[in-house]
Order: sequence, then structure tokens, then C-alpha cells
Amino acid sequence: MTNNNLNKLLVFCVLFCAQKTSIVHGAQALETKVALLLHAEPENPKCFAEGMSDLTCFWEEDEERAGSADQYSFIYTYQNENSSECSVTALPAAGGKRLYFCRLSQTQLFVPLDIRVFRDDLLIHNRSLFIEVVFLLDPPANLTLTSTGMQGQLKASWLPPSLKYMGDSMMYEVSYAMAGSHIGKVEAVQASSELILRGLQSGTKYKVRIRVKLDGISYSGYWSAWTDPVLMETMPGDLDPLIVSLSLIISLVLTLLSLLVLMSHRRFLLKKIWPIIPTPESKFQGLFKVYGGDFQEWLGHSTGGLWLRPTYFYSEEFPAPLEVLSEVSLGPVLPSSALPPKASEALGEEEDEDKKLKRVDPALMEGWRETPQEHWLMDQLRAIHKHPAPWTQSSLLESHDAYVTLNAQNHSVEEPLDDILEETLPLQVLFASGRTSSESRSDLGSVQQSSGSGRLSSQSSFEYPNHTWPSKGPGYTYMAVADSGVSMDYSPMSSNKIDDIGKGVIYTNEYKNEIPAHRRPIGTPIHFAF
Amino acid sequence: MELPPRLFAFLLMLLEWTKPGLSNPLRPICDLRVLKHFIEEARDAEAAMLACKEGHGLAEPVTVPQTKVDFNVWERKTALEQAQEVQSGLWLLNQAIGSLRTSVTNTALHSHIDNSLRNIFSIGQVLRSLNIQEYTPPAGGVAGGEETWRVSSASELLQVHVNFLRGKVHLLLSNAPICHQGSS
Repeated sequence: MTNNNLNKLLVFCVLFCAQKTSIVHGAQALETKVALLLHAEPENPKCFAEGMSDLTCFWEEDEERAGSADQYSFIYTYQNENSSECSVTALPAAGGKRLYFCRLSQTQLFVPLDIRVFRDDLLIHNRSLFIEVVFLLDPPANLTLTSTGMQGQLKASWLPPSLKYMGDSMMYEVSYAMAGSHIGKVEAVQASSELILRGLQSGTKYKVRIRVKLDGISYSGYWSAWTDPVLMETMPGDLDPLIVSLSLIISLVLTLLSLLVLMSHRRFLLKKIWPIIPTPESKFQGLFKVYGGDFQEWLGHSTGGLWLRPTYFYSEEFPAPLEVLSEVSLGPVLPSSALPPKASEALGEEEDEDKKLKRVDPALMEGWRETPQEHWLMDQLRAIHKHPAPWTQSSLLESHDAYVTLNAQNHSVEEPLDDILEETLPLQVLFASGRTSSESRSDLGSVQQSSGSGRLSSQSSFEYPNHTWPSKGPGYTYMAVADSGVSMDYSPMSSNKIDDIGKGVIYTNEYKNEIPAHRRPIGTPIHFAF
Repeated sequence: MELPPRLFAFLLMLLEWTKPGLSNPLRPICDLRVLKHFIEEARDAEAAMLACKEGHGLAEPVTVPQTKVDFNVWERKTALEQAQEVQSGLWLLNQAIGSLRTSVTNTALHSHIDNSLRNIFSIGQVLRSLNIQEYTPPAGGVAGGEETWRVSSASELLQVHVNFLRGKVHLLLSNAPICHQGSS
């Protein structure tokens, strides 16, 4: 029994509470609407319709002059109908005011309605209106924000007020602003239940609210109250398309430039990366193409090329016989033996300072034979040969070195002949030690200039490496030097002074000696004979 | 976008004349902007009549339809009843405005009145496109009924005209079943 009672009590309480909340809610809504209308409507009484068959009218009075609700009478008359009265209720309002309400639950639209308010039979308000043009709806419910999946966009959706026949007359205003900012934008939309907000900043929170109004020809009204703001954050920012596009363009330009550079240095790079293996094809004409690498065949068939080879391989010239003449001061003029007519004969001559120097080349010798001075010289040489001076032999015997020592005796008389020596070192080096007047130097390959009284000339021949020189008689001092074909260049003083033929024997033979001294084989016989 | 009612009427007549098929030749006109245009023109006529200084009184009172709409009552009516109410009302208005034309001398008002008459005719065509049953006036006399009343001033008549279009005609057109066949 008590349980039942308790249950009933509980249910009653719940219902009461629910109703109270709804009443409170309704009161709150009413308050906002009243506030809105007080602001928007200048006429009195202010009336609004919330639904399709209701009308709420109210007016305001100051507290001091306000009377009780009974004093007021609200008379309304539809066109072509009789008047009716509405009961007036009073409610306190803020700011020392009083509100008087009248609510109609059954209305007729599209017909003029005449309203008169009396206070103690005194007409205080008079108004004629059409109910369908004073709609003041509740704000749209269930305002939700969702992401559209695109940058800077939000989708707002709501539930339209459930009024029949009025859907296409409904107009909405969506106000959106960044959270915290008071400056917002407003977008209007007609007869829809959703709206996509564009142009929003990425990654920012936005607050959105909406209000509704009937704004058609048939139905019209006031702007509803704003809904409570709904917050939503937009999608996080992506790469700015401008930056992305600019960077793409720059990279493209750089790529093109690098390609251009690569193309212009294509060959160089190719050589570096993929070096060409050198082939000897260019040197062997047709060796690989025609004979397929068969060298023997190629040798046999190539004409003219072979003979060119030795010049390629042997860079040196043919060894030329070298005639080294040495000048030694002789006492008596000794008859000199006739010069051998052989071309390759080497003569070593030792002569006086006023003696001539013999040329090397027999060919050249022949050219010069005709000079009378030479004849005289030859006679002298023969004489020397017949009577070899003992000192020469002794000196010969004494010396173990392979050099000729020419004594510098009897150098008093000196012919002013300037014999031009073509041959220089190393033979002159050897002569340097025994002379006093010679100025030959010991460095190899250099141009030697013999001056002074002691003139040395040396001859060597390739064709007499190991043999004894044919004795030419006294006065000859010659030596055979085993030489391996070295050549020496006697340049400045030398060779081409053909015009000096009058003065002396000119040696035009070029003897190039580039082999240093140490290369001279030790122990090679160097013969010198007198 | 304003659709000239003359062009609109001409198009309608042309379509009816050519008779493209056995099916309804008229395409249903579900766009309420047409009606909106008519209503605006009716409002202009009413405003012009009110501005006219001459107190235009009708020669004799005319019967006009009731414009009031009680939604509770309206929704209880059948589609046929609603259609009948609208069609008869339009007929009555046509008669009344036609008689108004004779008693008005102002040429500006004449154009308004002629416009209103054409619009009423166009609305009839729109209703026809929506398969709404036409009204056949009762023979012999003026149709009476609880849904009619009598007016004696021209401005009142034009006001009734506006309100009727805004109310019942609009309700009927916006809820025509043929326009809601695809949706819902």
C-alpha cells in the first residue's frame, strides 16, 4: 500500500518537474520573444503567431500606472464576424514594467483582424492586422556542425520549424565567427535545412548560430531569436596551394636548368662516367678492321708503313762516324801519313797550334782535300807519324784512363786559326785534364768551345770499337771510343760556319752526345795512337 | 523573374491548341512563383484603388468569397471540397471584378482591373494543369453559400481578391498532390 502511494507520488513529482521545466522553458522562450517584439514592433498591442492557429498579443505598462488585469479588456473582431473577447493576464517584467497578455488558440488567417484594448472602457490600443504576417517562430532546433572533408569548410544543418504549408516561405540566417571574435559573417538561405560554410580558416574554431523568419508573400513575420552558438573546429591546415604551386614551378625550372647544363656538357660527362677505352687502331691502319688483329699478316701487307716504323721506333739518327781530332803541340814537323781514303776511318791527330784540324767525315774530307793548307797539314802529320815523340807514348802508357792526354807543350806558337770543333764532350772532358789552355768544360752535351792554344780534336768511329787504329804516324792522337751511338750537339760555335772554310777546317758533322759520362762503358778500349 | 501573364496565358493556350498527346497536355505548374506574381499584381491594384481619390463605390454589392482560413477547419476538408471552394471563389471574383470595370472611369485603374481579370483566368489555367476540378456555376443565379459575403466598395473587393489569392488559392496550389508525387 505504501509502495503504491510512494510510486504515485514519485510519478507525480516527475511529471510536475517535467512540466515545470517545460513551463520554465516556455517562459524563457516567451521572455525572449517579448523582448524581441518590444524591439521590433512599434504598434500596440504587439502580437505574434507561433504556430498555425494561435496568436499571442501583449502590451506594456509602467508599474505606477498599471492596473490589475481585470481592468483591461481585449476585444478582437474578424472581418464579417462578431467581436470576441480575450482574457487578459498580467506578468511582471524587468525595468519596473508590467506586461499584459492575451492569447488566442483559434485563429483565422488571410482575413483582417481588428483588435481593441480597453482599460476601464477606455480604448487604449487599436490595431488591425493579418495574423499570417506576424509570425515569430521558435529558433531552429538541433543545429549541428559537421566537416565536409574539405579545407576551410563546415556544414551546418538544422531542423526547420514544423509548420505546414510554410516550408518554402522560411528564410534562415546563419551567423558564423571565429571563436572569441565578435566580427562574424552572415549567410542567408531560403527553404533549406543545411548550409555549407566556405572560406573558413583551417584549424580554427568557429561558432555558428542560426535564426529563421517567414518571408513570403503569403506568410511573413519577424526574425526569430538566435540559437545557442555551436562550436566546431575546421580541418587542420594543409599546404597552402600557392606555396605548393610556387615550389613546384621553382623545382621545375631548376630541373630544366640542370638538364640543359647536362646536355651541354654531355660529351664531357660521358667521358668521365664511361671513359673510352683507347685502342691502337689509329696507329695500325687496317690492322683490326682488315686483318682482324693478325699482326703478321698486317706486317706483310702493309706497304711503306714498315719502312716508316724504324723512324718511329728509332728516334735517334744513324750513328755517324765521329772524327775526333786533337791538337797537340809538336816539335818537329813530322810527315804525316796519307789519310786513308776510307770513309769510316778515324783519324786522331795531334797537331800543333798552327796545325789544322781535320774534318770527320770522309765525304767532307774529300771536299776539303783541295785546300793547300790541308796538304801542308798532312805533310806535317806524316812527319809526326814517322817520328813519334816519345813523350806521347809515355804519356799514353801512363794513362789508364780512357782519355787522351795531350800535353800542352809548345804551345807558344799558336796559329790564329780558330778551328771549330764540332765534337765536344765527353771527349773534351777527357782532354781537359791534360791541358792547360783548353777551356773545355766537363759537363756533357754542352757546347764546347775550345780556345786557347791547346786545341783538341778527337775522333771516334763506330766502326773501330775494338780494334787498333791504323797508325797514322806521329802527330796523330786519336782515340777510339766505343760509343753506342750517342749524339752530341755542338751548337753555337759549330757546325754551320761554312764561311770559315778559309780559316780552318770546318766540321759540319754533328755528333750528338747525350749520354752522360757514367754510361760510357768502363773498360772499353779507347785507343789512341800516335 | 517575372513571367508576363499574357505570355503565360498565350503559351498555355498554344499548348492546349497543339494538343501534343492523349495525356494531360498541360504540364503541371507547381512553381508558386507564378501565384506570387499574381498576388503582387493584385496588391498593386488594391493600392492603386486606395490611392485613387475618387470614392469608388460599386453600383451594387457583389458577392465575394470568404478569404478566412482556419487551418483546423481547412485540413478537415477533403481535397475536392477545397478545390470546389477555390474554384467557386475565383469565379465569384471574376464576376465581381468584371462588374467593377464598368463602374470605374480611371484609365489607370482600368489597366489594373484588366490585369486582375487576366490573372484570375491564368490561375484557372494553373489549377487546370494541376488536375483540379473546374467549377461549374449553378445555373440561374449567383452561387451563395456560407463561404460568401457581399462587398460594396471597390477597395474592399480588391482586398478580398488579394486575400483570397494569398490564402486559399495558395494553399490549394502548394498542396496539390500532383506536385508532391515525386517527393516524400
